[in-house]
Amino acid sequence: MTAAQGSSLARDRSDDVAAAARTRIAVQRLVKRFNAGGRDFVAVDDVSFEVKQGEFVALLGPSGCGKSTILNMVAGLLPRSGGRILIDDDAVETGKVNPRVGYVFQRDTLFPWRSVEQNIGYGLEIAGLPKAERARRVALAVEKAGLTGFAQSFPRMLSGGMRQRVALMRTLILEPEILLMDEPFGALDTHTKLEMHKTLLDIWERERQTVLFVTHDLGEAITLASRIILLSARPGRLKDDFEVAVPRPRDPVALRETAEFGRLYSHIWHSLGEEFRRTRAD
Amino acid sequence: MPKSRTVIVFWQLAILAFVLVVWQWGFEWSKALLPKAYVPKILDPYFVAKPSLIWRSFLRLGCLDAGGFAACIKGNDNNLWFATFVTLKNTWWGFLFGSVSGIAAGLMLGRSDFLARVFGPYIVALNSIPRIALVPLVILIFGLGDLSKIATAWLVVFFVVFFNTFEGARAVDRDQIAAARLMGASEFTVLRTVVIPSALAWVFASLLPAVSFALIGVIVGEFIGSERGLGKLIIEAEARANASEMMVAIFVMMFLGILLAIAVRALQSYLLRWQPQFEQPA
Repeated sequence: MTAAQGSSLARDRSDDVAAAARTRIAVQRLVKRFNAGGRDFVAVDDVSFEVKQGEFVALLGPSGCGKSTILNMVAGLLPRSGGRILIDDDAVETGKVNPRVGYVFQRDTLFPWRSVEQNIGYGLEIAGLPKAERARRVALAVEKAGLTGFAQSFPRMLSGGMRQRVALMRTLILEPEILLMDEPFGALDTHTKLEMHKTLLDIWERERQTVLFVTHDLGEAITLASRIILLSARPGRLKDDFEVAVPRPRDPVALRETAEFGRLYSHIWHSLGEEFRRTRAD
Repeated sequence: MPKSRTVIVFWQLAILAFVLVVWQWGFEWSKALLPKAYVPKILDPYFVAKPSLIWRSFLRLGCLDAGGFAACIKGNDNNLWFATFVTLKNTWWGFLFGSVSGIAAGLMLGRSDFLARVFGPYIVALNSIPRIALVPLVILIFGLGDLSKIATAWLVVFFVVFFNTFEGARAVDRDQIAAARLMGASEFTVLRTVVIPSALAWVFASLLPAVSFALIGVIVGEFIGSERGLGKLIIEAEARANASEMMVAIFVMMFLGILLAIAVRALQSYLLRWQPQFEQPA
């Protein structure tokens, strides 16, 4: 970690966003083939895109378009069949973890045998951070996630939304500069989802991590992202790329009333709709 | 209609009293009241003793009757207390070695496909041998002392714990492992912080039967060849056709079995307190 990253979670990165829009993630001609039942099929077909410093990019597409597959290859969880992925000009190697990258799963991957604070502190614990410093940072994160009073609870005592907050803080406490999120709010009900959007926006608008966010929910993509990359139905190909010029700070509820939201929604919906119809025609 | 606790305890005590009364006086009463052919042989004190005789034997074997405790203990090197101590000690060591080695082997084979495939057939084959058939061999190898009893208990415990740990280690959530790795956990850290806690629920499911099996193993070992212990006490009493002394040993074993099960349960509900069924009432 560099000194510039500092120890405060509440640092402001908005200045360097404007200054140096350097490329953090570069996906180049990415291909993924799977072998299912003796038959090859292409899940991701020649996908290229870039994510710049401080950008919040949503990877949007119908189910089965390979968007999670792309994310898993960026994280190094899944081997590629072709193409290259660079993070800060370093080629991603499968199975090798990049400490600058944080990952949030769709599925609940909290450790059920650890309390909320033990879950949040996991990464710091295995990094060997002294106990006192760990406790200080964990307490801060617990408060930031709105989980005060639940620090000693085990995950099963929490609601789905609270569990996903813990998962988010467990990743954010390691201060990753790049965040990969795989439909993290996909399993939540609408109300909880909007609350989580607010939490995430609050954090991101302060800290401006570089985010690659996979979702099939158009409203979610417009609410959160500064750019939306649209993928086609299987095999996943790049279909379109939209700027989301909605000003910040955004309010996930009030935003839905704005003209810009409606305009973008119907514009992208048209494009996305074609893909949904194609999926159904399969 | 749900019965209150008092009602349940009342019936439990009533059943106990009924059994004790029939056991104590049933044979004499039926001899006095019924024609000879209908007297139930099962109640003959020659075979099953009776509570008052068992109590007297307990006092005598335990050196608690008139005659002085110290002198009596000195005069009998397999007195009840010493025999209990020996059996308990051997059960404990057999249980400990059996479960530690079972857990270690289960984790190793559960986490390595290669080892699991190499050793799989051997383990299935060895597990198919009725363990009791090996006891004479074990005594031949380890002699009449404590070691052969510990080895017998080990044989019985090992496989039970091994199979459960093996399944538990295989059932670990892949995404939880991926999450740990993405937060920087090494292979060993994953084993320590994810695989072992996660497999613990499976391990404990086997420890409860394992502790009873350990006791069975030791007793059988003592039956077949030993100089001391509760099993030896039974064999000696059998040689003298003394049913009440056998009953004393049987009751002591029953209490040992209960105590060991309570100890394992207590440990289990502490270590697995994150699971709903072991939730501590607030």
